[in-house]
Amino acid sequence: MRTPPFELHNPSSLDEALAIAGELNAAGQAFDWIAGGTDLLPNYKWHINVKPHVISLAKVRELSEFNPTHIGAMVRLHDLAESDQTHPVLAKAADSIASVLIRRSGTVGGNICLDTRCYWFNQTEQWRESIDWCHKCDCGTDADCRVIPNQNTLCVATYQADLAPVLMCLDATIHLASPDGKRSMPLSEFFQLDGMTRNVLQPGELVTHLTIPEEAGEWQGDYQKLRQRESWDFPEAGVAVLWKRNGGAKPAGLRVATTGLESIPGLHDEQAQAALSDWNGKETIDTLAEAVRKAVKPVQNTWSAPSYRRKMVKVLTRRACAGMLEGAE
Amino acid sequence: MADSDENSAADKNEDEMVGYRQQPGKLPFAKPGSGGKDRFSRPTDDAMIPESQGGQKAQPWGPHRHDGLVSGQVIGKPTALVDSRWKVTGQAHYGDDVRLAGELIGRIIRSPHHYARVLSIDCSKALELPGVVAIATGADAANKFGVLPVTKDEHAMAVEKARHAGDLVACVAAEDEATAREAERLIEVEYEILDSIHDMRDGLEDSENPIHDRGRYHIGEANVQKRVFQEFGDIDGMASSAVASHKQNWLFAGVNHAATEPHAVVAHWDPSGRLTLYTPQQVPHYVHRALADVLEVPMHQINVHRTFVGGGFGGKSDPFPHEMCAAILARKSGRPVRICFDREEVYWINRGRHPSRIEMNLHADDEGRICGIETDALIDGGAFASFGHVTTYYNGVLHTAPYEIGAFHYTGARVWTNKPASGAMRGHGAVNSRCAVETGLDDLAEQLSVDPITLRLANLLPPHSATITGFRVTSIGMRECLERVKEASGWDEKFRKMPLGKGIGIGCGFFISGSGLPIHWDPNKFPHATVHLKIDMDGGVTVHTGAADIGQGSDTVVAQSVAEVLGLPLDMIRVKSRDSDTSPVDLGSYSSRVTFMNANAAISAAMQIRDELLDATAEITGADRTKLVIGDRRIFAKNDPAVGVSYLEALHKAQEDRGALVASGAYRTPPMGRTHKGAAAGLAPAYSFSAYVAEVSVDVETGQTKVEKVWAAHDCGKALNPLSVKGQIIGSCHMGMGQVLSEEMRYGRSGHLMNPDLLDYKIPSVHEMPEVVPIIVESNDPEGPFGAKEAGEGPLLPILPAVCNAVYDAVGVRTAELPITPDRMHKLIEKKCKSSGVKDPLDLSAPRLEHSALQDTLASRAAEHAERDLARRLDDDRQPYHNGALFGLDPTIPPDEVDERWAVNVIPSEEYLASPRLAGSAWKHTERRHRGDA
Repeated sequence: MRTPPFELHNPSSLDEALAIAGELNAAGQAFDWIAGGTDLLPNYKWHINVKPHVISLAKVRELSEFNPTHIGAMVRLHDLAESDQTHPVLAKAADSIASVLIRRSGTVGGNICLDTRCYWFNQTEQWRESIDWCHKCDCGTDADCRVIPNQNTLCVATYQADLAPVLMCLDATIHLASPDGKRSMPLSEFFQLDGMTRNVLQPGELVTHLTIPEEAGEWQGDYQKLRQRESWDFPEAGVAVLWKRNGGAKPAGLRVATTGLESIPGLHDEQAQAALSDWNGKETIDTLAEAVRKAVKPVQNTWSAPSYRRKMVKVLTRRACAGMLEGAE
Repeated sequence: MADSDENSAADKNEDEMVGYRQQPGKLPFAKPGSGGKDRFSRPTDDAMIPESQGGQKAQPWGPHRHDGLVSGQVIGKPTALVDSRWKVTGQAHYGDDVRLAGELIGRIIRSPHHYARVLSIDCSKALELPGVVAIATGADAANKFGVLPVTKDEHAMAVEKARHAGDLVACVAAEDEATAREAERLIEVEYEILDSIHDMRDGLEDSENPIHDRGRYHIGEANVQKRVFQEFGDIDGMASSAVASHKQNWLFAGVNHAATEPHAVVAHWDPSGRLTLYTPQQVPHYVHRALADVLEVPMHQINVHRTFVGGGFGGKSDPFPHEMCAAILARKSGRPVRICFDREEVYWINRGRHPSRIEMNLHADDEGRICGIETDALIDGGAFASFGHVTTYYNGVLHTAPYEIGAFHYTGARVWTNKPASGAMRGHGAVNSRCAVETGLDDLAEQLSVDPITLRLANLLPPHSATITGFRVTSIGMRECLERVKEASGWDEKFRKMPLGKGIGIGCGFFISGSGLPIHWDPNKFPHATVHLKIDMDGGVTVHTGAADIGQGSDTVVAQSVAEVLGLPLDMIRVKSRDSDTSPVDLGSYSSRVTFMNANAAISAAMQIRDELLDATAEITGADRTKLVIGDRRIFAKNDPAVGVSYLEALHKAQEDRGALVASGAYRTPPMGRTHKGAAAGLAPAYSFSAYVAEVSVDVETGQTKVEKVWAAHDCGKALNPLSVKGQIIGSCHMGMGQVLSEEMRYGRSGHLMNPDLLDYKIPSVHEMPEVVPIIVESNDPEGPFGAKEAGEGPLLPILPAVCNAVYDAVGVRTAELPITPDRMHKLIEKKCKSSGVKDPLDLSAPRLEHSALQDTLASRAAEHAERDLARRLDDDRQPYHNGALFGLDPTIPPDEVDERWAVNVIPSEEYLASPRLAGSAWKHTERRHRGDA
């Protein structure tokens, strides 16, 4: 394993980082941002989409700000999981990511921007050569997709990060910065198909932080994750369900989001609203779980079979909703 | 300090040393203390001295021939491995830690194709790259090699064809790794792609381009590498007398050893023209031979240096092509060459457990006897033979015990496919078929409505018996293993009584303690293991052994054996086991042979030194030689302990005429076994036995299975080092649990290995690891060193069926495909729901058991047999016992000699070939004198 050579830039402020990005952009030089490096460096070692320049955010202090309504992109996953400032469901999701070593290094921004994953893609260069490459990293060969062949357009690599569904259910806003200025949007609008595009980030743009509405504290819920082992493994499926109460058995608000199933995480607003409008306790939860199952279409590119992952979405949704009935009178 | 004051006071009396007279005018040549760090001997630990020698150590299994050698030092005490401090302080040098001045880095160029003819290799661009020093291709090494002399089918690099994606095609040595990797890309190889075979079933068919051309003895035009047919016992009678029959078609995924240390090697041709190869190897001697073959250099010009080994498990027990590559590049470049694998290269070299299709049929008669086992095993060998010849036999013969059976029918075949080669992995060849047998027995018990542990207890072979295939079994602790796990686990309160999703299951194991036949020579012409001892005036003992310590603790066990016999503390023993230049030939660390064979050789060498020390003591003290015993660094008269000398005094006396004492001890297996073709496969001087109970919980909605607790009893004869034995048991549980629940080498639709990395090759993490309660059973093997047998591989076998059977107890689902990943389990549960007419899996019912009348019959037979076994193990004048006695035959004669219905047959009949089982169909091909012959 050897990381290919690249030039490392070490800005000490956001402005400096953006300036470097602007210069590289202008010079037509490709680059990657590096935060915790737990996603990027393994990919680099496997020679996956390597760039000649890497800009480190390690010294950019303003990205590490952290309070209940503001989570900087450079906040470590471990700190997010351990802090009592973190919404409990978000803390649960953060605590389930990879292993303790990776959480100590990995960051919130890195997790949100986690590269999509695929059996035919996350492999060494020698291995990928043996399948004649794939179009997510084709080394200039115009290779086809190996998961669903004969369609050289769509990449179906899977988004397997845990924080996004919970943050989407918390109605988080994501804040971006680039040499051309700043912009913000609901997190659910940040992600963009397909598995290669992944999100709206433009060259030179980065995630600075997320904001969470004050009222997030009123929302309760759960995050359920499916995987082979209780450590290391990426989610084969993940379901976040958050709800808000106002006294009655029927929740006043309900949000459901999934991850690990498609190329982007999904916020299932339509299904959640349908459940609220036709609320009937446990039965509704079963209907909702079935609706969410129908809404996702995993493909065969991770450890577990797609049909199984899809079926499990139903079980996970039901389990994530369990607390909703418990608290109700 | 008080201690040192005492010592200096003692020093003043040095002229008054008893039993040592100075010659006037001559300097004393050394001051004989007792030897060791502490100058005073400790009193003998009576609790460690066996009853037979007048000590306190109870011997419920009778005395042992080594009892008289017990000095109470280290044997049987939990002992930290002698090299553990090197490892825990990070000072142990593994394969890739070797740094020689001027080293080059080697990289392997591998085939991207499953199966391809190599048409040309153009190295010109790579050679122009600054920093590239040497490049080698198949043309540099034409000679074949392989771990077994009968199946040498490997080249250092592809000579004509590359046989799997990842097969070696060329190699390059450069000044640094970056340059070597750059050069890799510049080497242009032209291939002609051939049709590849991935499904093992296709390997049975004729092929236009067989993966190997065996020339002589090619089996048809097929890719069959080895086939076995065996019939023993009353084959015709088994089906007719059966009242319960089990049939299951298993599919086992291949698994890899996934040792922490990837393979690495350093080769160096020194100025005197000798090659030293530094390699983390389990079988340095086989590497030694293969290097001589491939490099065409006499063996004495090669020194194989075994580095510390970061895990072997069978994954480092072949001579490897990359070792040849390093040597070839070093010879070409005149500089040391180091090659270290990336993780996926470890998967490409593989030698893991064979992917297998096993059909298992078991029959039980109305008395609850196992009247027949019919096994058909097709195993996927991948691209090379490796140990596969043996594996093909082991898949059958290693489940002919511990049960007494009425008939055994085995057909096995190993085929070549275009995948990384399978080989020997911990539990070699026995693991998969054992899983099938033990889950089958559970099913038979279910059909007969009896307890599966009682069923097993009522069908065990007694100690000192012969199996149906004629294996000589000596000590058997199987019954005690079963009884102890039954009690410890609370079996009777739990089995078939736990709620849905919770279950408990039993599994047993039987494994060889050393292979009876040394592969390369006649056992009567050369011993299996040799150990040399050298002791000079300092009193420390240098042990030279070729046994490869791969982390299992062979250095420690050899040191312990010598220390025990000579009455020395462990720190006075230094083991030199690394260099073939100085080590006597040893076959290596495989087939669980090292403790049994090497410790026996070490004891035999130490006994010679012991004799010399006793002679010297008798001479000094004038005491009766026969009364002398050895304690801690002191030799004294048993009847009058005040009469005696220190170890060093005796040693120096013994050295008077000859200087350093040297001794050589060897071990060879006794003559045993029968004479049919393949009779030697599975033959061992002793066998280990084990029984595990696993408790699991299954999430019936997600199909996720978690092992909650394991009670693991293993009969290792005698735990020379209980700490190591427990470690082996716990580690085996982990490894076996991986195979049963999550580990698999998964091949994608295009035939590629999809998970050659440790993220997607799912080794259980600490979260998945249950509490394991190791239970050591000591059956006191008559031929084992101090009674010991193996504990390294056998303990792996029972965990797989124990988990499978526990899963059945939890949800009533029998799996026949491993690993039981959640998606596979979920499918089975869905099917079960459908067949039970249940919509929600939470409404399923767990299986329950109501004993039939047979239960009492079996229980009383088990009780009778327990008495029979006890009598046999304590009686030295016991009669022979051949498998078959349970079926009413004379136990003292092999059954085929008294009953014509009991056959021994190793050639399939026309009748069988008319409708063979899957692997059996390999016998439809005619073996050719030359491939292409009619």
